[in-house]
Amino acid sequence: MLQCDFIFRLKGILEFACQLDNPNGVQSQSTISKSFQDLRSKVTSKNIVFTVCNSPVLIWPNTGFQSSVESLTEASACGDILQWIESDDGGSKKSSKKKDKKKSGPTVVNMKLLFEVTEPAGNTAPSLIRVSTQQHCVKMPLPLDCALSVTTDERLETVCTGLVEALNKQLADMEEVVLQYRKGSSFLVPQPFHFQLPEPAGLITVVYPAGVPDSQLQAVREDLHRKFELPCDRPYLRRANAFHFPDAAYKDGYLRNPHIHLNPPNIEDAKLYLVQGVYSYHHYMQDHVDDNGWGCAYRSLQTICSWFQQQGYVETAVPTHTQIQQALVDVGDKEPRFVGSRQWIGSIEVQAVLNQLLGVTSKIMFVSQGSELATKGRELANHFQTEGTPVMIGGGVLAHTILGVVWSENTGQIRFLILDPHYTGGEDLQTITDKGWCGWKGPEFWDQNAYYNLCLPQRPKSI
Amino acid sequence: MGRSYFVDEAVGEYLSGLQAAPGSCVTGLLAGQSSPQRDFVVLAVQTPHRESEGQLKALKGVSPLDDIDVEWVTEHAKQVSRMLPGGLCVLGLFLVTPPELSKDAQNALKRLIFAVEKYIIKGRLWELSEEDVTDRVTLHICSKTKKLLCKTFDVKDPKSSAKPADWKYQTGISSSWPMLTCSVEVDLQIPVTGSSSDNTDKCMKDGLRRWAKQIEAAYCLINGRQALDDSELISGQAHVCSFQKKNPKTTNRQTLPARIFVSDEQSELGERSSALVQVCSGSMRVRGVVHCRAYIHNNKPKARHAAQAIKRDIINTVCSRVEMFLEDLCINEGSQKGLCSGQQALPRRVFAPMPISGLSVCDYMFPDESTADVAERLKEMLDCETPEEDIDTSLENNQLFSIISGFEITDSQDDDSSKHVSEIQAENHKIQKPPKYYAVGSGRYSSFMCGPCSSHCSPCHSHISTVFQLMEKAKMFV
Repeated sequence: MLQCDFIFRLKGILEFACQLDNPNGVQSQSTISKSFQDLRSKVTSKNIVFTVCNSPVLIWPNTGFQSSVESLTEASACGDILQWIESDDGGSKKSSKKKDKKKSGPTVVNMKLLFEVTEPAGNTAPSLIRVSTQQHCVKMPLPLDCALSVTTDERLETVCTGLVEALNKQLADMEEVVLQYRKGSSFLVPQPFHFQLPEPAGLITVVYPAGVPDSQLQAVREDLHRKFELPCDRPYLRRANAFHFPDAAYKDGYLRNPHIHLNPPNIEDAKLYLVQGVYSYHHYMQDHVDDNGWGCAYRSLQTICSWFQQQGYVETAVPTHTQIQQALVDVGDKEPRFVGSRQWIGSIEVQAVLNQLLGVTSKIMFVSQGSELATKGRELANHFQTEGTPVMIGGGVLAHTILGVVWSENTGQIRFLILDPHYTGGEDLQTITDKGWCGWKGPEFWDQNAYYNLCLPQRPKSI
Repeated sequence: MGRSYFVDEAVGEYLSGLQAAPGSCVTGLLAGQSSPQRDFVVLAVQTPHRESEGQLKALKGVSPLDDIDVEWVTEHAKQVSRMLPGGLCVLGLFLVTPPELSKDAQNALKRLIFAVEKYIIKGRLWELSEEDVTDRVTLHICSKTKKLLCKTFDVKDPKSSAKPADWKYQTGISSSWPMLTCSVEVDLQIPVTGSSSDNTDKCMKDGLRRWAKQIEAAYCLINGRQALDDSELISGQAHVCSFQKKNPKTTNRQTLPARIFVSDEQSELGERSSALVQVCSGSMRVRGVVHCRAYIHNNKPKARHAAQAIKRDIINTVCSRVEMFLEDLCINEGSQKGLCSGQQALPRRVFAPMPISGLSVCDYMFPDESTADVAERLKEMLDCETPEEDIDTSLENNQLFSIISGFEITDSQDDDSSKHVSEIQAENHKIQKPPKYYAVGSGRYSSFMCGPCSSHCSPCHSHISTVFQLMEKAKMFV
């Protein structure tokens, strides 16, 4: 977990422009570097200004720290800035959320990069300079995006100096990427991505060339994994792994990790084993598909696919019911008329589809009666510890997703964290957690006499 | 329910004093500021005599109304618009006619007002917003009875009919209007595709338009406060600037410094994954500092209207200068325009007190001109005598640049009291020695002495293109 209280995020667009006489000539590299050098001068000049979004605060970081608000000086703690920010619901000041709601992580302070064009150094009236040589005119907007994690007592001035340094470094990284991937007069836009790595690395930023898929950036990631001493068998630096800022909404509208809003049951001597990373909650009636009564296993499968996509293992979108059915036809598991039907599927089909569409292998666990599930604590604990993927369980007439267990090795007591795909309502977190559509259940939850199959997806070993 | 025009007493005096030859008409402009609630008129100027006009043409059967030189009236309106700082604009027209023509005067005014509006907005780089007032005033004055008939037309709607409006005289309408100022650094790199002079014009317009959008979208501080929302413009402490020191009449007026902050955000370049590359035949760069001014009425103005006024002045002043320069170039270089290289000074902005109101007007001085030329133009365009010493040329410094091999712009800080002579000798690798240029700086009056004709013209318009062509031949410029 992040130990910081704040993330200061500075975004802005800087236009990169240069004129190349001969894009394939030897001079072009130095011309490009010169333009980047000019941009670096620009961000260290007196003219740059940070504006704090939704507030009247303007900061001039390169003039010995000046701000437009008298009470914010170089000695101010960065937390002081909060009182000036108007929150989206219209009220200002710190949020007055209920105490029992879990803290949703560090507060993000969004800032924008601007340049002052007034207060110039000189006063000479304009001239017009004309050049008439054939040239290639290159223009490219650089999407600068720097983030700094800090604690609340850090001085605002230090934060701003840090952001200026980060801008400089990012421009240097961008120059490297631009030069590396340039072909003649074809330039790829360098795009920054933030990643939350395990301590001590923390929040880092990597610049990737736009349009080059993750699959072609393997070598870059291998270097970075070495540099940051990251495990070599799971992805940390694919674009999908990019850090999701706490204040940003997900554009697709699905809820992410509803389970984090729940408190785990308090069982003596027991440990908590949870799904790792991020998944989306898929359930009945979503996407204008009325699968009430037959689609529960499909929805659990979608939840699992969303996990693999968001951890960066696959770039394919979460499959629709039709695509799932087609995949089963393609592997020979079902007849063609299966597509478009309302037939149920089970763990075996889930395993087959994960393999066919995502290249993911899964283990199947068979339990001859529901009462036996209480004895599977060790296996499930191990699964969540090593793989950390959501588990699909089918049996009786129902399918569910298991997201974790609370299990005591000594007493054998167990509770299951269940995500229920049978929910037919809207994406209302309050209802979903209050009514137990995502909730902790005891062993009595299972049909004690029915047999169950569990599909335990395995993480591919890749970065 | 028509509009109310609050007019300075002195405008009334000017209008009463107009002399029209018997049977003829006098046209003229009315200038001031519009706000949603009311309008203010601070200036009236009759249309100057056109040079080609000798005697009044008394063609048989042609009414003097039909004889009005619409083209000349619109040209005058455009010239006057260029001379008005931000917040002020041409609000309408007046027409003095003898009693027998009064009936047809309305039609003539309607024709004129639409023509004027159309011509003024041509080439303008910003669009009117929803909140801008689009009513323009037409004032008819009977030369015999001196009776005034005031109406408005909505220039957004060509089919609109005249609406009645109030015309009220007051003293010192604009005496307490705050003045917004700022100096803006401009550095625009504009690629030129194609080689004809039309291309050059279009590329320049496109480049300026993109820059204008940045300015319009820019963050603005007025007197240290954000100027975004509907909050009122609260005037801060009075700041006495050097202009006010010279003109004690204006000490009532508060000066509010404005600061402008831009971002390079361009929506059309937004989601690109690769750079935009154009093969260009060359490029143009506009570089330097422009001094900007805007006035805002003091009837509870909103901060964002003030911000809009100063931003529009910034855009207008750069656009006007470039337009004037290119017009001038067209006359001198003709079809060769757009093909040669070089650095040339754009006309610089000077300010003078406006007749009547104590506000200021501006003009643009080419490098080979003097304040005498400015005074002459002010007389012709604004019908007022301005003593040369009242013309303030200190706000933008003259451009001094050396012509040496390659491009180097030496911005020297002009010092009013220093006399600075530097001999600039162009290096020559191969062919003939290009003419020598000497820079003689004496503050306000910096000028070049042109080698070929030894006249104080800087750079001499008739010779600059030849010189640059020679330079180019001598491989002076990259």
